[in-house]
Amino acid sequence: MDERDRREFDAGLSEEVDAWLRGDTSRREFLTRLMLMGGAAMLPGLGYTAAGSKAWAAAAEVSKVELADKSTPLGAAQAAAVKASTEGPTDGSAYRAVQEAQKYKDKGITLNLTYESGLQALEPKNFSGPMWQALTGINFNVVELPHPNQYSQPIAEHIANSGAYDVLDIEPAWIPALANGGVIMPIDDYVAKYMNKADLDDYHPLYKSITLYKGKRWGVFDDGDQFALYYRKDIFDDPKLKDAYQAKFGKPFGVPKTWDEYSQVAQFITDQLAPNIYGAGHFRKFGSPGNQFSFLQQYRANGGKFFDADMKAQLASQAGETTLSQMIAQNKASIPGNNDLDAVALWAAWLQGKVAMIFSWPPTGRISSNYAQRDKAINFIPQSSIADKVGYAVVPGSNGEMASGYVRALAAGSNNEEAAYLFMQWVTAPPLSLVRTMLPYTLRDPYRLSTYKSEEYRALWPAAKDYLVNLCECANSGVVDMIMPGWQDYALTIDRMCTAVWGGEDTKSALAKAAAEWDQTTQRLGVPAQKAAYQEFLQIPGSYADHTVEKLGQAAHIT
Amino acid sequence: MGQSATANSPSAASAIRAGGASAWADRHFKWLMVAPATLLILAFSIYPMLFSLWVVFVNYDFQIPGHEFVGLQNFQQIVNDPLAWSSLGLTIALSVAVVAIEFMLGLALALAMVKTFRGRGIVMSILIIPLFISPVIVGQSWALFLQRPFGPADYLLSQLMGRPVAISWVGETPWVYIAILLADVWQWTPFMFVILLAGLAAIPPHLYEAAELDGVGALNAFRYVTAPQLAPVMLLALTLRLLDAVKLFDVIFMLTGGGPGTATYTTSFYLYQIGFQQFHLSMATAGSWLFLILLSVVITALVRRLLKAEAA
Repeated sequence: MDERDRREFDAGLSEEVDAWLRGDTSRREFLTRLMLMGGAAMLPGLGYTAAGSKAWAAAAEVSKVELADKSTPLGAAQAAAVKASTEGPTDGSAYRAVQEAQKYKDKGITLNLTYESGLQALEPKNFSGPMWQALTGINFNVVELPHPNQYSQPIAEHIANSGAYDVLDIEPAWIPALANGGVIMPIDDYVAKYMNKADLDDYHPLYKSITLYKGKRWGVFDDGDQFALYYRKDIFDDPKLKDAYQAKFGKPFGVPKTWDEYSQVAQFITDQLAPNIYGAGHFRKFGSPGNQFSFLQQYRANGGKFFDADMKAQLASQAGETTLSQMIAQNKASIPGNNDLDAVALWAAWLQGKVAMIFSWPPTGRISSNYAQRDKAINFIPQSSIADKVGYAVVPGSNGEMASGYVRALAAGSNNEEAAYLFMQWVTAPPLSLVRTMLPYTLRDPYRLSTYKSEEYRALWPAAKDYLVNLCECANSGVVDMIMPGWQDYALTIDRMCTAVWGGEDTKSALAKAAAEWDQTTQRLGVPAQKAAYQEFLQIPGSYADHTVEKLGQAAHIT
Repeated sequence: MGQSATANSPSAASAIRAGGASAWADRHFKWLMVAPATLLILAFSIYPMLFSLWVVFVNYDFQIPGHEFVGLQNFQQIVNDPLAWSSLGLTIALSVAVVAIEFMLGLALALAMVKTFRGRGIVMSILIIPLFISPVIVGQSWALFLQRPFGPADYLLSQLMGRPVAISWVGETPWVYIAILLADVWQWTPFMFVILLAGLAAIPPHLYEAAELDGVGALNAFRYVTAPQLAPVMLLALTLRLLDAVKLFDVIFMLTGGGPGTATYTTSFYLYQIGFQQFHLSMATAGSWLFLILLSVVITALVRRLLKAEAA
């Protein structure tokens, strides 16, 4: 068992025998250790100019990194990323980061990088970590943490002044709390010194300014977790269902545009096709972020505001009532056990063809097409039985949540501050970002305009272009999490409120309790401080349905 | 001269120093022996406790800058939090319920197993397996078993009852409480069983023989022989189990996450949430102190009772 096999086995994902029995293509067929096998003779194929240059030395080390066959779209993107890191363009962020990092080459530095445990951590372990090490000689150590601990553990280490971490993987919504607490540090000076400014403009406008707080940049955005609607085209094209829907509701059967339509269509499909297929499915298990994200996107689509001018919580409002009523209707129209599902269980139901619509994170598109499952790291997810039947759309109500996302932030206690920043810059530079969002097992999702337009990405599966276009459109009208201090508390309240309602509590009383909890949180953090933070949040594109990228006239439309 | 010369030589000086050190060590031997343990206790127990005493009177909330003195405000926040009270209420109710059920089942099993029979060793080994499993694993296993739509619980019940069963074991009351009871009772009944079985085995057989000669029936033999003889062991088992049950956390964490809403927040889970998820460290520390004080009262009462029973 080699190192990678061991890592994947540790992650509970080793299913080689099962994959073999299913007759799947193994990763070893799919990926070739191109440069190990071909050695120097293969290097020109990846664009190296050999002849004793630094690039040559670096490339020799890069040969240890597992790369896809360059004839595949992924292999081509990887070759381009290596070239951009070693040859340039010389003003590119990737090249500059690698060049600057050479001064740390023999210093014995190890960067400690936090990542969510499990699948998220496979990418730095298998690709970006080893490649960075090969290019710069800087060692890396991936520290795997459960998602909530990605917030709490850096705080604990900061309080202990341990200097345990160099680069943190955090939610954008945690930035205000972590910045105020001194856990992360601004990177403006490094950006000014090392980053190609055009790379900032390559971010979709929703993500470009999401790391700004109090006028400073607190990290580089690195995961476009934009919710989108995924639906079964074969069901929506079924003539019998079309006729039946028209007869029942007097309007055409189509992909829902509003949340009321969504419940109605989902219920109709369930009535017509259950128990074989249900209209919808959601991840609404306790502690599953599905509750908070569903509620917050829908609440804002319904015109809801979080606070009034005095920072009094506005949850107990008509918008709150409407949202919870709609969500209850969705639950009723959904697959049995809807309220006990987490995101992965929902994906399993979707891939097995049990539900007609889900709204979720972007990996949904990749696993629906069976692109992701070709890698054994993720082959525990069922094969998609709906691979050629999936359509992509903006979520009903238009305002899909940019649900969490990740920012790579510089830990304030880092002993290797500049090297850590250079890694952040390199790993999120356009060519690297593209590869990392293309890896079959990745959970990093596209966020750069160049990625949405990438021919390599569009060649990954037949409908990949539609998928990318839709993600871009979703981001245009998307809403972001509540990026302000106390987000953890506010979000926890929403989850408690929703699961209480699913458990039978009256919606009015649940909303009133939640509003009271929000008020408590606001008071604990200080009303004036929270008021200022809220004012800042209001400026972020995607703060509300009337303040989206599209409404601000900044939309990016790609074809 | 000779003596003086000897005393002044370097080796003699060294011998005197060694002798002095040895004498000092002899004098302070008892303190040297307890020093490592004392230092460890000071470092890992006393210091954190004193530190926590400081924390409860200041603002030690990560999201609020500074460590300003706030008096009793942290205690006030706990006392005024309805969730603190409801989680305490649930802790008491669940603890009493699980301990009572585990006691009854453990006693029944112990009575059934006290006499030897063929295969007793294997049956006992199987019965105590849950004791060796981590509570986190137990919680996760029960979550997988009960969770809809992929867990087999509802399917098995449907087969058993001959009609569809759709119970949301972890999403609706009262099922969520039943799920917690099931998981806890499954794991900890063997604990009661083992202790009570040991107690039963220690009762002198001649007491039963005498009772039998007196024509005492099985029920009365239990009432007049077994119960009084087993009482101290029963009290010990109940005390130990109750002390553990009030800390109920792992199963809640894995099985229900405190939900639906906050319906299954126990005190431990509540303090964990505010301390290690929301990072209101002062408030969590104040809550921990209050819980510790409450627990101390219960523990003291139980231990006194236990000592009295043993003395009798």
